[in-house]
Amino acid sequence: MTAITKKGTVCWRCHAPHSGGHFCAACGKIQPLARGTDYFAFFGLPQKLWLDCAELEKLFHQLSWKLHPDNFVRAGEYERELSLERSSQLNDAYRALRDPVARVEYLLAHAGMRKEGAAKQQAPPELLEEVFELNESLDELRTARASSTDDSHLASLKQHLEAEERKLETKLREVDEELKRIATEWDAAFDAGADQSQRKALMSRMNDVLNRRSYIRNLVANVQKELAEA
Amino acid sequence: MAYSDKVVDHYNNPRNVGSLDKNDPNVGTGLVGAPECGDVMKLQMKVNPQTQVIEEAKFKTFGCGSAIASSSLATEWVKGKTVEEALAIKNTEIVKELSLPPVKIHCSVLAEDAIKAALNDWKKKQASAAEQPAAAAQQ
Ligand code: FES
Ligand SMILES: [Zn+2]
Repeated sequence: MTAITKKGTVCWRCHAPHSGGHFCAACGKIQPLARGTDYFAFFGLPQKLWLDCAELEKLFHQLSWKLHPDNFVRAGEYERELSLERSSQLNDAYRALRDPVARVEYLLAHAGMRKEGAAKQQAPPELLEEVFELNESLDELRTARASSTDDSHLASLKQHLEAEERKLETKLREVDEELKRIATEWDAAFDAGADQSQRKALMSRMNDVLNRRSYIRNLVANVQKELAEA
Repeated sequence: MAYSDKVVDHYNNPRNVGSLDKNDPNVGTGLVGAPECGDVMKLQMKVNPQTQVIEEAKFKTFGCGSAIASSSLATEWVKGKTVEEALAIKNTEIVKELSLPPVKIHCSVLAEDAIKAALNDWKKKQASAAEQPAAAAQQ
């Protein structure tokens, strides 16, 4: 385990210098987490967006085995607490990093960019317009279903929505591709030691894409739900 | 999570649902969304150009109960107010009136944003309407 930063601390137990990681290198005792440790550092990984999922899973299993409260039943209360807390953090960390989109979400949230009200730029007007119109079609479908006097009207509405759903799925794939491209740029910038402002710029582009993605996802879910009932 | 009585009331009897003619020069339209949840809200207001008083307000929201209640309340509040007064409405006042919990604050932000967007749209229309005759006079 490397990379968990905050140098200059010492082990709470044996006072050997401790350079991060979950355990003391000298005595092997579980250590409190250095402040500001993010989920990447939790696994000893750099803050990069491309991750080998098999590797991550391996790290997860290793850590969950090492941190498991069962290993601490005979330890002192402090260590038991640390192990309990760390095990649940491990699950959160794994869940956040396992999925590529959740990983970007996490990176931005950790940088304070997904906060409510933060970076509150609106989605492109055309997208909002489209979301609004499709929602109106969904409303129309609901009404038509409730009255069910005009079957051909209902059928044509359904057809329209099915076509829209296919378009949305395509859009979702495009958005995911775009996110992937920016993530690649992020990793390259990371390797090149990009400065704060370059990172910020990349994060704000990712933030835009995530926002658009969330409208489209929501819409796909709504359309699917209505079509399933229609 | 339980909704407050006021939210439930607005949700069950939303005020001023509908739309106004968006091509009317005295109507401002605001369409905004909340990226957190993907909900959208459209708010329209008709302003009297002489008095600057908002005479009519309509909304349509596709979103959660709090967003519907926030926009419904917003239309009630803006009616009879001047443009300046309406622009001063803060989402925190909506939060307070509807007793929204912290996770629902963004729904009230949406309503504040919608008011601002609609009135900005109206102002833009007014400005371009004022320019038009001048441009025509030059020819
Ligand atoms: S949950 Fe999104 S507007 Fe309320
Ligand atoms: Zn030690």
